[in-house]
Amino acid sequence: MHTIWLIPAVILYALAAAGFVAERLGANGWPARAATPLLAAGAALQSIDLLVRGVQAGNIPVTDFAQSLVFLAWLTALLSLYLIVRFRMPVVGAFAAPLVFLAVAIAAVMARPGRIAMPGALRSAWLPVHVTLALLGYALFVLAAGVSVVYLVYEKRLKAKRPLDAGDQRAPSLEKLDRVNYQLLGIGFLMLSLAIITGAIWADATWGHYWSWEPEETWSLAIWILYAALLESRLAAGWRGRRAAALTIAVFTVLVGSFVGVSLIAPGKHGGNFG
Amino acid sequence: MRETVVILGVNHRTAPVAVRERLAYAEHDASAALARLRQAAPALGEAALISTCNRVEVIGVTADAERAWAETVAFLARDRGIAADDFAPALYRYRERDAVRHLFRVGASLDSLVVGEPQILGQLKNAYAQAAETGTAGLVLHRAFHKAFAVAKRVRKTTLIGRGSVSVASAAVNLANKIFDTLADKTVLLMGAGAMAELTARNLQRLGVRSLIVTSRTFDHAVALARELGGTAAPFDDFRPYLRLADVVIGSLAAARTVIGPEEFEGVIRERRYRPALLIDLGVPRNFDARLNQLENVYLYDIDDLSGVVAESREEREREAAKAETIVESEVGSFLRWLNGLELVPAIKDIRSSVEQLRDFELLRHRAWLATLEPAERERIEGLTRGLVNKILHRILSGLRESGAEAPNGIYAAEIARRLLAPDSAADDLLDDQADDGDDES
Repeated sequence: MHTIWLIPAVILYALAAAGFVAERLGANGWPARAATPLLAAGAALQSIDLLVRGVQAGNIPVTDFAQSLVFLAWLTALLSLYLIVRFRMPVVGAFAAPLVFLAVAIAAVMARPGRIAMPGALRSAWLPVHVTLALLGYALFVLAAGVSVVYLVYEKRLKAKRPLDAGDQRAPSLEKLDRVNYQLLGIGFLMLSLAIITGAIWADATWGHYWSWEPEETWSLAIWILYAALLESRLAAGWRGRRAAALTIAVFTVLVGSFVGVSLIAPGKHGGNFG
Repeated sequence: MRETVVILGVNHRTAPVAVRERLAYAEHDASAALARLRQAAPALGEAALISTCNRVEVIGVTADAERAWAETVAFLARDRGIAADDFAPALYRYRERDAVRHLFRVGASLDSLVVGEPQILGQLKNAYAQAAETGTAGLVLHRAFHKAFAVAKRVRKTTLIGRGSVSVASAAVNLANKIFDTLADKTVLLMGAGAMAELTARNLQRLGVRSLIVTSRTFDHAVALARELGGTAAPFDDFRPYLRLADVVIGSLAAARTVIGPEEFEGVIRERRYRPALLIDLGVPRNFDARLNQLENVYLYDIDDLSGVVAESREEREREAAKAETIVESEVGSFLRWLNGLELVPAIKDIRSSVEQLRDFELLRHRAWLATLEPAERERIEGLTRGLVNKILHRILSGLRESGAEAPNGIYAAEIARRLLAPDSAADDLLDDQADDGDDES
């Protein structure tokens, strides 16, 4: 369920997405300039939506897939704003804003009516910590994959001796994209690791065992191993640039598969079936 | 036959680098080539050879453009060992106004790969110096080149054409900025010492690269350049270990074959742990194998590629270029007026009228005495002087016409005769004095 704040947020995200894409296509008037403020405004409205629902639920509002998706989109929006402003990489908006818009729009349509009651056992201080860490990790992986796509596009254009994009001179360098990708992966990996650890501690406190091999746990471990291998290939074998970008995208598709698949097809406790 | 300025050549627009590199002359060979051309193309009265990475052109003065062109094409084919069919389709031929305009446009950097880039003027000055040294530049080319330099200067002063990132060197630097976030931890390897390569290295150095390594066939040259740019010199026969260190390699060697091939560089890339490498090939012929671009994290740009990279702010430059074209056009007009002044016909007219004037003047001077004579006697004297004038003119003019066939001597002879006989010139006074002397003697 969502509050009245979510629909205007979706509209703002849509406008921001249009602005960022227009900027990539060479527009340099107000649509391009308005894109970042629109994205920020959308994120602000969504923050209100999350806050209101959090207060209603008495905890972080992530009890089903749609809510998780909305929360993930919100984190992605905030992180992409940080990259756009702090790292001066408006190109991030061109993939992040459309993704955020899509995710929130889908979630708004999917949202189940009514409120899902959370079992008392789960009403723990560990919940916001565990979920935020996990979704923060995923959001960072979303951006890493997006930055990798940008890398591959720019790389291809550079090899073909064409301008990188319409804002050629202001486009981030390949080295910067590669470095940002690495940093996003590194921090994302750290978040995922902490999420798994906190999840285990919480499970132990609630059910008396750290690990129960339910689908979400198994997949998380698999993804953790894949990202570890990805980071290892860079650190040990020196794989970077094109190869690193392609691998980031490959691992991310596995992540998307598990996030969607586990939540919709084989939900365990993580999918909202807390029985 | 009229003497005209002619140009025949290829440039970056008409011929790919693969053709240009086969036609291009090394700088040290240009003077000798010019001398050979002079022998092989007798139809060219004057000649200069412009050979840069982006153009190979022969500019000359001739009375028979078709013959001069044919001789030049045959010469280039033979001298460069390239079949005429391979480059003939890429050739442009200009004569008279078009040729002069082309020369001025080249000098003003309007015909450059990167419009407004400043290096072409130096290269044109070089070409002129070689022609002057070899003795193939005569009256017309001297004037034409000097005029071209003046036009270039005027264009540079009165338009913004040279502003911004317009040179190939800056294009290379822009490119480096697309690959590398910072140059502060990068190493540049400069191979060879072409003017453009040096400028590129200088621009990169100014942005603050960590280190610059210079290698060149002549080690002393490398040492001197390294000292000037604040880098280190590496011996040429042992430059390969430095490839591994270099994030940017600028190739500007005069080498018959490619210096770095893909198999070799693949090893280098692995040793570099796939750190990106930018290879800038400014050599003509090219120094780096074109297949290097396919290697992972390797970006190879040759001179033709750099033109695509500098597309930005083209609109502004085109506006300034339009202003420059107007300047060129007016200067072409003024040069052609001068050149036409050299033509035989007006010169002959001038000479005839000068001599006629002398006769009229003498008749006028003696009009008081002439008036005392019988009309018949007066007629005889007038006839006698007219005959004398005609005989003198006939000798001068037929001599001029004969030498006129041996281009371009006719033009010069006529010009000298015209100046000597011109009533308002110093030569006129001289003639007067001599005439007076003659009077005294008689």
